[in-house]
Amino acid sequence: MTLSYAPGDSLAHRLDPRSKLLVQAGFAAAAYAYTTPRGLAALTLLAVACLSFAEGGPRDVWTYRFAFPVLALAPLVAGATLGAPWFRPERAAATGLASYRVLLILVVAAGYVRSTPVRESRAALQRTVPGRAGQFLGVGVALVFRFLPLLKRDLLTAREAIRARGGGALPVRDRMRLVAVAGVNRAFGRADRLGTALNARCFAWNPTLPRLAFGRGDAVALAVGCGLLAAAVVRAL
Amino acid sequence: MIDVNGVTCRYGDGSDDGAVTAVDDVSLSVPDGEFLVVAGANGSGKTTLVRTFNGLATPDAGTVAVNGTPVADDLVAARTAVGMVFQDPRDQLVAATVGADVAFGPENLGLAHEEIDRRVAAALDAVNMAGRGEDRIASLSGGERERVAIAGALAMEPDHLVLDEPFTGLDEPARRSVVDRLRERRRAGTSVIVVTHDLRDVLGLADRVVGLADGRVAVDAAPEAAVGDLPGLDVRVPAGAAGTRAGETSASDP
Repeated sequence: MTLSYAPGDSLAHRLDPRSKLLVQAGFAAAAYAYTTPRGLAALTLLAVACLSFAEGGPRDVWTYRFAFPVLALAPLVAGATLGAPWFRPERAAATGLASYRVLLILVVAAGYVRSTPVRESRAALQRTVPGRAGQFLGVGVALVFRFLPLLKRDLLTAREAIRARGGGALPVRDRMRLVAVAGVNRAFGRADRLGTALNARCFAWNPTLPRLAFGRGDAVALAVGCGLLAAAVVRAL
Repeated sequence: MIDVNGVTCRYGDGSDDGAVTAVDDVSLSVPDGEFLVVAGANGSGKTTLVRTFNGLATPDAGTVAVNGTPVADDLVAARTAVGMVFQDPRDQLVAATVGADVAFGPENLGLAHEEIDRRVAAALDAVNMAGRGEDRIASLSGGERERVAIAGALAMEPDHLVLDEPFTGLDEPARRSVVDRLRERRRAGTSVIVVTHDLRDVLGLADRVVGLADGRVAVDAAPEAAVGDLPGLDVRVPAGAAGTRAGETSASDP
């Protein structure tokens, strides 16, 4: 399963993407400002609320599973020393909290992705960042969100094809090599086909962007986002 | 009108030794409103030829003009006038939901929101998918994806609609549905160009059949006259097709 936009009518779906971006930015700032267990516990509640408002759940968080080993290993690596005492728990704990902070930011991002169509993200960026920089960012976001799910599906197909012909019995290293080679090949092919499709459909840097409008719910979201940013600034001072 | 004049397309490293000639000095015209079938075996140059119609492939020699304007002079005009449906619709669908995907082309043309909404509604209606704009592309069947791809092309309101092997991988009901949609396009006056190696579904709809072999036009005639020569090009035709209009009979017809 790939994390992607899921049509719906949840509270998060009804929010303007600019509000959601502000909440994300505020959340990230607060997560870096409040690194104590108590602060992160409060942010945990907020992160779960953000995902719930988008009708998301553990399945969405599970899409980040490829990042979990890195986040889990980081405290062990940070705590390890080359000599006695061989392991320093306080350093591992600090890094563990940092890993957890990253996880929380990913949870909030999952709520955004599943509740926001790609073209609305593009519109929000282009309206927030003026000029060519905004266009460049908007197009970049649009292409990445269109390309990654396709690439992921190609990789899964390659893996299934390898398994279907007995490749599942190969050593992990060989399987990784086969999937990687097939994945790179398919990535280039997929990029080529996506480029052709975009050309055929007159891909433009300045298309008609979807209508965006702030509603009543956005007032709350904007207040939360601004509050989080302000809290981060106060903490930093 | 699409005018193809002496078009040659080569693939390869640019040297004479390494290049493969996919399309070799092809000339033909597609009048407005015509239902043209471009037939040929795999590797005969069909797809490359139709890709020159809207500039997705650039001829090494010769010219292509759409509605009197050379394609190379105005790619956006060519791509607006010639809608393209790819062989695998998954290569063409770029959004997460049906409505967003169909709107993608009109948005790129910079149209007003009201016009985009009208075109999306009309295109979805034309492929019998009205009211399904919020459906996820990933949840659609192969036939439905094909119809969304056709809707995406129709939303550009093209003068010419090109479909590359539109029946590949579709089951019988889905094939009939696509044939019905093509029949409606024909009635609406859009010229339809179907690229295929299997004429069983479309021979009855065709005004003309162009058969390609090794990149050259081997047959260019009305279906009744062309059908006898097509099996020699490794093209599949309906059983007893000579003198019949088999595709006119669809199981979805009363």
